[in-house]
Amino acid sequence: MTAQADEPSARDGPATNSSVPLISLRNIQKSFGSVHALRGASVDVHAGEIVALVGDNGAGKSTLVKVMAGVHAADSGEYEIEGRPAIVRTPSDATKHGIATVYQDLALCNNLDAVQNLFLGRELTGSRLFGGRIRRAECEVRAREVMSRMRLSNLSLSRPVGAMSGGQRQNIAIARSVLWKPKVVILDEPTAALSHSAAQQVADLIRSLADDGLGVVVVSHDIHHFVVNSTDRIEVMRLGANAASFRSKDVTGEMVVNAMVGGNEGVNLAG
Amino acid sequence: MVSIPASAAPKRRTFGELLGSDLRALPVVIGLVVLWIFFVVQSDVFLTPRNLSNLLLQSTVVGIMALGLMFVLLVREIDLSIAAIHGVTAVVSAKLIVEYGVSPLLALPLSVILGAAVGSVSARWVNWIGVPSFVVTLGLGLALNGIQLLLLPATARFGLMGTGVELIAQTTIDGIYAWLAWAIGIAFLALLILSSVRRRRRVGLEVSVIHSVVLPLVVSALIGAVAVVVLNANQGIPLPVLIFAVLLGLGGYVLNETQFGLYLYAIGNNAEAARRAGIKVPRIRTAAFAIAGGVAAIAGIIASSRTLGVGVFSGGGVGGGTLLLESIAAAVIGGVSLFGGRGAIHAALLGALVIGTVQNGLNLMGVKNEVRLIVTGLLLVLAVSIDKIIEKLTGQQAY
Ligand SMILES: Nc1ncnc2c1ncn2[C@@H]1O[C@H](COP(=O)(O)OP(=O)(O)O)[C@@H](O)[C@H]1O
Ligand SMILES: [Mg+2]
Repeated sequence: MTAQADEPSARDGPATNSSVPLISLRNIQKSFGSVHALRGASVDVHAGEIVALVGDNGAGKSTLVKVMAGVHAADSGEYEIEGRPAIVRTPSDATKHGIATVYQDLALCNNLDAVQNLFLGRELTGSRLFGGRIRRAECEVRAREVMSRMRLSNLSLSRPVGAMSGGQRQNIAIARSVLWKPKVVILDEPTAALSHSAAQQVADLIRSLADDGLGVVVVSHDIHHFVVNSTDRIEVMRLGANAASFRSKDVTGEMVVNAMVGGNEGVNLAG
Repeated sequence: MVSIPASAAPKRRTFGELLGSDLRALPVVIGLVVLWIFFVVQSDVFLTPRNLSNLLLQSTVVGIMALGLMFVLLVREIDLSIAAIHGVTAVVSAKLIVEYGVSPLLALPLSVILGAAVGSVSARWVNWIGVPSFVVTLGLGLALNGIQLLLLPATARFGLMGTGVELIAQTTIDGIYAWLAWAIGIAFLALLILSSVRRRRRVGLEVSVIHSVVLPLVVSALIGAVAVVVLNANQGIPLPVLIFAVLLGLGGYVLNETQFGLYLYAIGNNAEAARRAGIKVPRIRTAAFAIAGGVAAIAGIIASSRTLGVGVFSGGGVGGGTLLLESIAAAVIGGVSLFGGRGAIHAALLGALVIGTVQNGLNLMGVKNEVRLIVTGLLLVLAVSIDKIIEKLTGQQAY
């Protein structure tokens, strides 16, 4: 589905750390007044891999994600996109570079249906002569394509999303993020507040995005299930910097939690 | 009465869910029918074409006001200055016409532009300073009341008889012309529906002909035809009623079909989400207030034409009086949410009809004005409670 599926890097699996990352942040510093939120944090995201960002409250995960998404501009540090230095200082810079974000609150309009939410702000419209009439049929076809590719065809496109379950709403928010064919999708706490089975469905959906060649960054507190079972790499943050980095298949939840709280296991098993 | 089904082939929904969305008008329609039955039993005159024409005409000013206000309510704001805008713009145009000899053809459009400008000023203030719109517009309304009084002559009144303005209320479209107007309206609706259907077919989406073509067309044509028959049995379609109908059609198109309309609903439900989606929220809000102001001025023109002049009483008098309260009540009774993001265009019509019916019916029964206020007030309380009651009964939140 995604645009970069035609590009060489898209075929590379998660194991190919030698390839050029889709996005790479190095040594990011960010302060809010006297609060030094990021103290040299780094993260790479490759095509086709899911990177989990974990850490205690206040570790700087959300701030790092917001720097990635252009919500906050970094005070210093390097931001590279496909190996080239990039300037990402506003959300629209990030969008232009193919970086999409699913915020924790989902940012859906509950009174609108799935199609309207998917296209919100970027509706396909007809001539201005008719006041910008929305080309509903075209939008709906595009929405259907995306939904069926994501195996979400069972979701109603014409019900207000407020009438849907938490998992369904999460799925719609994710579908919206990939509608405009980004290279990287960032998700903040996508499985929080979901039932176990709904969380599993969302995890499957996130995996299918990576299988399509996208780079995925997920902030999550669900260490024991989602993080160790459904991601490829884990970046542990502590006090605004990287404390450890693991391959998800090599670790247990306990090891990750230890690294989060500052245990001695915080060595770099990923090499 | 423009209602284009958003999507053909819908999945089966529970009745509770429908009651919260597509059938949201049902309780109001039932309430209206009950009121009508009550008044038919109470008065032999109620159901005569003459009285029904009167009722419709009486409902237009409040209906038009409610229609404009809807745009502001949809974005989760309120404009308490609409009655004052209605009054002051009517007085300005009357002054231009009577004292300065300006042609009504110039003065009346000017008053609509003035109304829109005033509306956009309060929106800009709300956007810029971030104060709640109800305070800003409350204050602005009082200020406009003062200006209105200053503009009036020593006689406290500008008579409009013989200026041409009175013709708006006096003109009726009758006989074959009434049917022509009906046919044009239905033709527009048909064009709109067919173009949607054609597009859906072209991109390979299924269309349920009954649900999305036949039903809306037949229902609209029938309601329109009944109205034309009744009005023709009296004197034809009064021009104010036709203006209201055209505004309803235009408003329905904007709300259901356009990007701007969608943004009103989006902002009303989740302004932050709309902002993050790249929607220029302040701009949309300003447009909504401008529409409410401009439409209030249109209502002001019709009202001054009906009363053959303007004065202290224009715009409901100081503070907006019952005009302001009934305009808000009409929108809410019709199903517009005060919490933003919900309400269809027919709300303005239904709400105004409920209020007009109570007024007209109680009048026929010879009941005092005081009782009318009590009944209207209680109906308003009942109407705002409907959503909550539906929610409680069905466990389904209304959108
Ligand atoms: N907008 C902000 N203004 C001031 N301080 C902030 C802001 N955002 C985050 N912080 C501070 O930065 C630190 C890191 O926060 P955050 O990135 O939200 O951590 P996490 O997401 O890992 O819980 C915390 O001390 C937090 O209080
Ligand atoms: Mg956080």
